[in-house]
Amino acid sequence: MGLWLPVLLYLAAATFLLGMGWRLATWLRTPVPLKIVLTPGPKSSAGVARRLAEEMLGFRSLFSADRLFWIPAWFFHLSLVLLLAGHVGGLLIPQCAQAALGLTENQFERLAQVAGGAIGLLALASALALLFRRLLGERPRAISTFSDYFALGLLLLTIATGNQMRFSSGFDLPHARLFVSGWLAFHPVPPPAAPMFAAHVLLICALLIYIPFSKLVHLGGATLFSPTLNQRNDPRERRHINPWDTRSANAHESSAP
Amino acid sequence: MKAPHLNPGASAGVKAHRAKKDLLAPLGLPAERPADWRERALSKFDELLRQRRSLRLYLDICVRCGACADQCQFFLGGGDPNNMPVARAELLRKVYRRYFTTAGKLAGRLAGAEELTEGVLDQWYTYFYQCSECRRCAVFCPFGVDTAEITAAAREIMACIGVAPKYVVEVVKKAREVGNNLGIPEAAWRDSCQFLEQELKEETGKDIKIPVNESGAEVLLVPPSADLFSNTDTMMGYAKFFHAAGLSWTTSTYASEAGNFGLFLNYEQLRQVNRRLVESARQLRVKRLVIGECGHAWRAAQAFMDTLNGPLDFLEAPRPEHICELAARLIRQGGLKLDKAANDGLAVTYHDPCNLARAAGLTEEPREILRAVVRDFREMPAGTTREKTFCCGAGGGLLADELMDARMKGAQPRVEAFRATGADCLATPCAICKAQLPVAFEHYGVQATVSGVMDLLGKSIQL
Repeated sequence: MGLWLPVLLYLAAATFLLGMGWRLATWLRTPVPLKIVLTPGPKSSAGVARRLAEEMLGFRSLFSADRLFWIPAWFFHLSLVLLLAGHVGGLLIPQCAQAALGLTENQFERLAQVAGGAIGLLALASALALLFRRLLGERPRAISTFSDYFALGLLLLTIATGNQMRFSSGFDLPHARLFVSGWLAFHPVPPPAAPMFAAHVLLICALLIYIPFSKLVHLGGATLFSPTLNQRNDPRERRHINPWDTRSANAHESSAP
Repeated sequence: MKAPHLNPGASAGVKAHRAKKDLLAPLGLPAERPADWRERALSKFDELLRQRRSLRLYLDICVRCGACADQCQFFLGGGDPNNMPVARAELLRKVYRRYFTTAGKLAGRLAGAEELTEGVLDQWYTYFYQCSECRRCAVFCPFGVDTAEITAAAREIMACIGVAPKYVVEVVKKAREVGNNLGIPEAAWRDSCQFLEQELKEETGKDIKIPVNESGAEVLLVPPSADLFSNTDTMMGYAKFFHAAGLSWTTSTYASEAGNFGLFLNYEQLRQVNRRLVESARQLRVKRLVIGECGHAWRAAQAFMDTLNGPLDFLEAPRPEHICELAARLIRQGGLKLDKAANDGLAVTYHDPCNLARAAGLTEEPREILRAVVRDFREMPAGTTREKTFCCGAGGGLLADELMDARMKGAQPRVEAFRATGADCLATPCAICKAQLPVAFEHYGVQATVSGVMDLLGKSIQL
């Protein structure tokens, strides 16, 4: 196989980075005219940090809305984070990860197999649970759009192809490592011959391109930007300024209609 | 509360009467829908997207998980799928996608994008005026997506092409021309105050004043104007409180309304109505500005006033205060002689007005007051109080007769929670809740009274 796959991956990664940068910059640039914090809200910045951490790490609001739904939602996101970490540790910096854990090559392989496999299955199961919730719940089905299924479908296929490689005996892991490190060093090498590997990477390309232009953009830390959650509840202690309306300084304006 | 089965179109026919030229023109809104309404609406949309991060972000990041779906009282009570907050927001979001996002411009319907048509505008007018901007959904959203921000934007877009409800526009016009939502002129205001002073005299034998436009008073009290006409016990409660506390106070005929229906129409009207309070406080040279029993009034004052029309540094206490904060503080200090026996025979529960609980964080002071003045105080079931309170069903400018069907559906979760307490008196510091809930009680066959918090305090004050 040639170099088209790594080249495509470069294009996808560039789209992802530029797209996300553009989206985040737009959010950051857009002013917040009024204090709209949801109360009771924290009075201090430390309190805000805590509130955001509880939301982002624990999905606190979702937990209070629907515990049964919280389970697959939280485990799905957790497993994606762990899978990402696993890819970094297993493919990108296996030597460092191995040294840090104090394991032999063999033990490290076993760990990758067991932990990676378990997390892969967890991701698959929780993604399927989310899909079935959408399909079977009367209200979730009513609010689901094509793009909701498309996003979930992309993720499911990516997870499934990854799992397939993890659980198939003949997969050439060292070659996959070479491919990844070569790609990262801008010395791309051809990928392993397994078609499942190409499929997995292609799906990742699709995700990278799709994320910035869809609801999946929320992985850019959307909660951090959310004024109802990231503001302090202190409108009477500190004056909040609306950057596009500073007329109030001009005290003698008529208020006749 | 258990979510209902979906009943598409259940509330599709419930629409607010439209404001006409006589109301729209004085507020600078187009008297008729202009021929280029779509372009104008989209250009307003674009402006709002550049001005409000909340709008842009909340249109971008919703994942349609549906955590909010079961939390809206209008959906719970009526089952119309467009009253699920996520679906309500989609009405605006689909147009946002079509005109303002890459995916929507490229992939159209596949990306969930839709043109702004006559039909969509009609959906907007229907369902964005079946949202009370109560923010209950936002409490349960993992991103804090606030449907009130989306509803407010949709209403502002509609207003700029002359599409707005008669009720809301009329109230804003009265507030700006006369000084209060009911359109009570100065002479009638003074008369009513005198009438209530006589009532107080008969009840207590004392000269308890309800001062009007008294320059140099310590406190300017801005009540909802309904307190002077329909909720007179609340007004007398304020008067007895200030009398007992020995605080000099006044009402103002220039700013005789705490409520701010500008909040339900657009930013500029919100600011202009709010401005009257600040001007009046300055003119009357008072030391403190105190807001009476009205939910969204307290949001507009507590959260927005300093930004919109501040700084308030001419006041000795350079920030608005809520009457319940004042009263609770004085009770804590032992500054009031209270007798709970005055409210014996009442089983009282407290209804958190949505704006006090979710937008201004005022939940404990009213309870402190109630515990101090009634013997039988009960809470409504967990999950329906404080920031998880249900809206009464008429906030956000929905207290219009023609919206009765939606109002009663929206009131159902609140009424059920009330029923569960077995109480016979619901106390709440909000004029809109006080207007809506007696109607809802009658509708659902509940035998109970609705009272203000200051009413019950007033009754228990020993002079």
